[in-house]
Amino acid sequence: MKKKLLSIVLASALTLSMIGCGSSAVSGVSEQNDTTSDEADASDSKKSAEGNLNVMLETPVESLDPQQATDGTSFEVIADYTDGLMQMDADGKAVNALADMVDVSEDGLTYTFHIRNDANWSNGKPVTAADFVFAWQRAVDPEVASEYSYMLSDIGQIVNAQEIIDGTKDKSELGVKAVDEKTLEVKLNVPVSYFLSLMYFPTFYPVNQAFFESCADTYATSPETTLSNGAFILDEYQPAATTIRLIKNPDYYDSDKVKLVALNYQVIQDSQQALMSYQSGDLDTTLVNGEQVDQVKDDPSYKAIGAGYLWYISPNMKEVKELQNKNIRYAITMALNREAITTDVLKDGSAPTYTAVPMDFATGPDGSDFSADQEKFKDVCRYDATAAADYWNKGLEELGAKEITVTMIHDADDAPIKVAQVVKEQLETTLPGLTVELQQMPKKERVQRMQEGDFELGLTRWGPDYADPMTYLGMWVTKNANNYGFWSNSEYDEIIADCTTGSTAMDPKARWSALYKAEKLVMDEAVIFPLYTQCNAELISTNVSGIEFHPVALNRVYKNAEKK
Amino acid sequence: MAEATFDKANSYVPVEADFRLKGKTADDFVDTNFASQNFWKEVIARFWRKKSAVIGLVFVLIISFFAFLGPVMNEYTYSGQNLENKNLAPRIPIIEYTGLFDGHENIKTTSGTKTVNYYFEKKLPDTFYWFGSDNFGRDIWTRTWSGAQVSLIIAVAAAIIDMIIGMSYGLISGYFGGKVDMVLQRILEIANGIPRLVIVTLLLLVFKPGMITIIIALMLTEWVGMSRIARAEMLKLKEQEFVLASRTLGAGNMHIIFSEVLPNIIGSIITQVMFSIPTAIFTEAFLSFVGLGIPVPRCSLGSLISEGFNSFTTHPYQIIPPIIVMALLMLSFNLVADGLREALDPKLKEM
Amino acid sequence: MKKYVLKRVITAIFTLLAITLILFILMQLMPGSPFNDEKLNESQKAALYAKYGLDKPIVIQFFHYVVNMFKGDLGVSYKISKNTPITQLIASRLPISIGVGFAAVFIGAIIGLLLGLLAAFKRDTAWDTFATVISVIGVSVPSYVFALALSYQFGFKLDWFPMLYSAKDVVRSSVLPSVSLSMFTMASIARFTRAEMIEVLGSDYMLLAESKGLSGNKLVFSHALRNALIPIITVLAPLVVDLMTGSLVVEKIFSIPGVGSLLVNAIQSNDYNVVIALSFIYSAMYIGIMLVVDILYGVIDPRIRVAKEGD
Repeated sequence: MKKKLLSIVLASALTLSMIGCGSSAVSGVSEQNDTTSDEADASDSKKSAEGNLNVMLETPVESLDPQQATDGTSFEVIADYTDGLMQMDADGKAVNALADMVDVSEDGLTYTFHIRNDANWSNGKPVTAADFVFAWQRAVDPEVASEYSYMLSDIGQIVNAQEIIDGTKDKSELGVKAVDEKTLEVKLNVPVSYFLSLMYFPTFYPVNQAFFESCADTYATSPETTLSNGAFILDEYQPAATTIRLIKNPDYYDSDKVKLVALNYQVIQDSQQALMSYQSGDLDTTLVNGEQVDQVKDDPSYKAIGAGYLWYISPNMKEVKELQNKNIRYAITMALNREAITTDVLKDGSAPTYTAVPMDFATGPDGSDFSADQEKFKDVCRYDATAAADYWNKGLEELGAKEITVTMIHDADDAPIKVAQVVKEQLETTLPGLTVELQQMPKKERVQRMQEGDFELGLTRWGPDYADPMTYLGMWVTKNANNYGFWSNSEYDEIIADCTTGSTAMDPKARWSALYKAEKLVMDEAVIFPLYTQCNAELISTNVSGIEFHPVALNRVYKNAEKK
Repeated sequence: MAEATFDKANSYVPVEADFRLKGKTADDFVDTNFASQNFWKEVIARFWRKKSAVIGLVFVLIISFFAFLGPVMNEYTYSGQNLENKNLAPRIPIIEYTGLFDGHENIKTTSGTKTVNYYFEKKLPDTFYWFGSDNFGRDIWTRTWSGAQVSLIIAVAAAIIDMIIGMSYGLISGYFGGKVDMVLQRILEIANGIPRLVIVTLLLLVFKPGMITIIIALMLTEWVGMSRIARAEMLKLKEQEFVLASRTLGAGNMHIIFSEVLPNIIGSIITQVMFSIPTAIFTEAFLSFVGLGIPVPRCSLGSLISEGFNSFTTHPYQIIPPIIVMALLMLSFNLVADGLREALDPKLKEM
Repeated sequence: MKKYVLKRVITAIFTLLAITLILFILMQLMPGSPFNDEKLNESQKAALYAKYGLDKPIVIQFFHYVVNMFKGDLGVSYKISKNTPITQLIASRLPISIGVGFAAVFIGAIIGLLLGLLAAFKRDTAWDTFATVISVIGVSVPSYVFALALSYQFGFKLDWFPMLYSAKDVVRSSVLPSVSLSMFTMASIARFTRAEMIEVLGSDYMLLAESKGLSGNKLVFSHALRNALIPIITVLAPLVVDLMTGSLVVEKIFSIPGVGSLLVNAIQSNDYNVVIALSFIYSAMYIGIMLVVDILYGVIDPRIRVAKEGD
């Protein structure tokens, strides 16, 4: 009772102070309060109501401009209210969305998309081929400086994209053309086998030029300055908001399938608060931290969802002479007990990985996963303490050293801090004479140091940009900025070139086996020490179904979600 | 002038015997009146009279004792991991028979509360983690005390360095006054105007993270308060007779500042140091929480709390020891500082 | 008096400019840049640097920045909320932080005052120790632990207050964060009140008042309290600014869309412009409040003005 009294006193003190402080904005809110208290009650009941899905976000949206956005959260929200030419189905395959028909030329260099007639923007204007031309030209425009412009150049291989990015050609020369209002023609430099699967990537989403120009500089900063052509319409949003609300789009061409009435996002950066909010019913789905898994693992709503990221350690083979020794590298990779890292430390369902391309995101021509067989490189990558010690002694002998000290840099985030500590302990106990020093830093700084070669060992991760092994294997070609180890192998470079722009590119089966060969080179040379493929431990309320999770591009799709 | 001309030859020459005191003993040479005014003696006496301050001092000493000896009291080290034995609840020999600290824990899962004792499940009859083990199977007892050690070292070092810098700065600024004071005070205003968090974070990003960097960062933000106090005291004292006297006797500026004025204000300086130690511990804890604390696997009280934060509802025993030690440490330093301040402040004396 | 105020205002402006310059230089020293992402190649980075004018010499950048600042333009965010004008980001967030901050100071000041008075009147008794311990415990546990404990007990278990900030229910959802924040103010005020009251109670005019036959409430309220309160106001003002820095973590925990959480995110993602703008605002508020306090204090107590002018 006393506590209750205290709380009343505190609450009234607070109200007083709010009125007392006299700041116009705040007192405005408290005046409003009388009128909104009913609404608040209404929204409380609305919250738990059928068809209102409440979702937790870890980070705020960085940008809702499809050509400027680069992070998963922004992509997810953009995709809620915008469709691309293609969208992802439940299995992550590209299926027709705004395009109802696609023609591919024999040589694989020309794609013709036919846009469906009932696709409209939320201001009533039809979605046209010109919207795509405008958006894609923006993506490569040096003035816009889109961070994902390489999706059109390096990866999409669209004619002239690279030249426009470099500033040698005008953006109007981009190899994309509106043949008529509803027909879009795209020309490529070389055949790109996964080109259709790029179309669901938000960088390729359309933007209506007239609307964009009417918003001036404020495009996509509020519900009024965004246009929807997808399943939902943006209802409440402001830059870096902690709450975002979307409501069903009644004019969506596929609106019969959309069962949710509204989608509410809440940014929560503290995992304890998130779990408590989930348990009290304020959230329908939330991410749980590794330590909380003990608490929820028996819950029927607990799920481990693949996040696609491959975590690995990259040795610097240019500057560090000890790491140039292959036996030392073998020793390190075999001394890592990946099983222990995932089951004892991370506990979120992450899977130990022994291949350079992680599991479950790239499906081959025969329908099987590229990295399903995790034992294919077991001669050079496995957990084997005795073999590790043998390689270690051999390596030390070759180097004429007794002790080695290496520094490992890693991000100052929860998971990498944990993993780095275990890695240090595992390496130091298995390999006598090795000292691993840890240095943690913000991610930006870690990336800069690795790209500049100012490190010895680096714990890093890579998320797939498109559903093809090339998103990983492309990294280790000579002089790639993300080839942190500065590894160079002409045979490898040749295979990769052949698979992207050469003769193998159009023969899926031959390409697939060539990619295997390339991966084997990386593993045989121990260019990287793969650790695990990241999973996110999530709680999804049992009355919610149909949320589609993907490791690539769009992490969560709510179009077919349902809440009873 | 007549008085001046007296007869030298006939005048009386005093002999030593004239001045011999009666009943000469050692005690007689002590001026009791002066002794009763011995400042420090009285301060100490007043300090001892204040019970809360004494309790604070005792706790500071106990925690310091454990901070340096606690980590070597069992076989574990602060960084030694044993993933087999992770997340074990506290278990202490002998006391375990009372049912407390016997290694059981109640885990509140979403499907109800369950009581488990992993020591039995994992068949570890002879394993004891007095405060439990963390998610890497490290001993929390060892980590708590070695964390307390790190926190204490950081805080005391930062407080002492900032005392030296802040004190000199304030004294010089106050003593010289005029232009010197104006320039020094403007610099101080600028240093004080930049949000602390920004300075500290930038420093920690620019330099290699580690204990020394944290000490420097804390020092850079805390010296301002110290210099204010030193300056104010100097302004009060510099017009007093003893300063004038020593200047007349030809003392140099530095001599006056550090040998004449400083001893007179050392009391308030020490009080301020005692207050700035808990502030430093706290700031370090805050830095740990935003990921800029002491690098792993070393730990401080702050980083232990941040580590335990995520298992707050799952394994609460992991966060409780560092919180209690930290709270006690903060409380004790504050009580000691309060006691010192009262003992030193003559205005409060009469009450 | 006018001359004194004018002098203070001019120094304040120069101090702020110096702070901005220092922030600029510090930002240059900061490792990494907002565009250090593994997915960006060199030419893209160069394009981004050119777009935001970061390729120009620092002196020119600084000059542009100051000129724009006087026009009320603080630049755009590079990372946290791409290309959004910072003034727009801050405009919606500052009132929220200030609201929560003021509420915290209010709660802290009231409780602190009561504890301080209790301790002063019952000096050296168990009450005194009790008040001291209570006020110190508030600052003995980090605010984030306190925030979590409050939110677990009163938000989750008892369900009295919302655990997360909500724009639809500002007052109720501000209770937990404000209380977690108020601890520091409470402890400072309690301590200060105690010391001031003890001094006032021991002063000659109190003795005089007592000897004139005044007693009880009249003595305490019209004489002692009034004289003790004036200096407390000067302590309170800078606490408000300190609080806003202290709210960084609490804002993150309660998902409050305020400026504190913005600053933390900005520092972590090297969003230079946001860091500089927010630091500048903090500095400006701090210096502004100190200025007002100094001037007010000069009005209340002319001795101080004379002393300051004499500096």
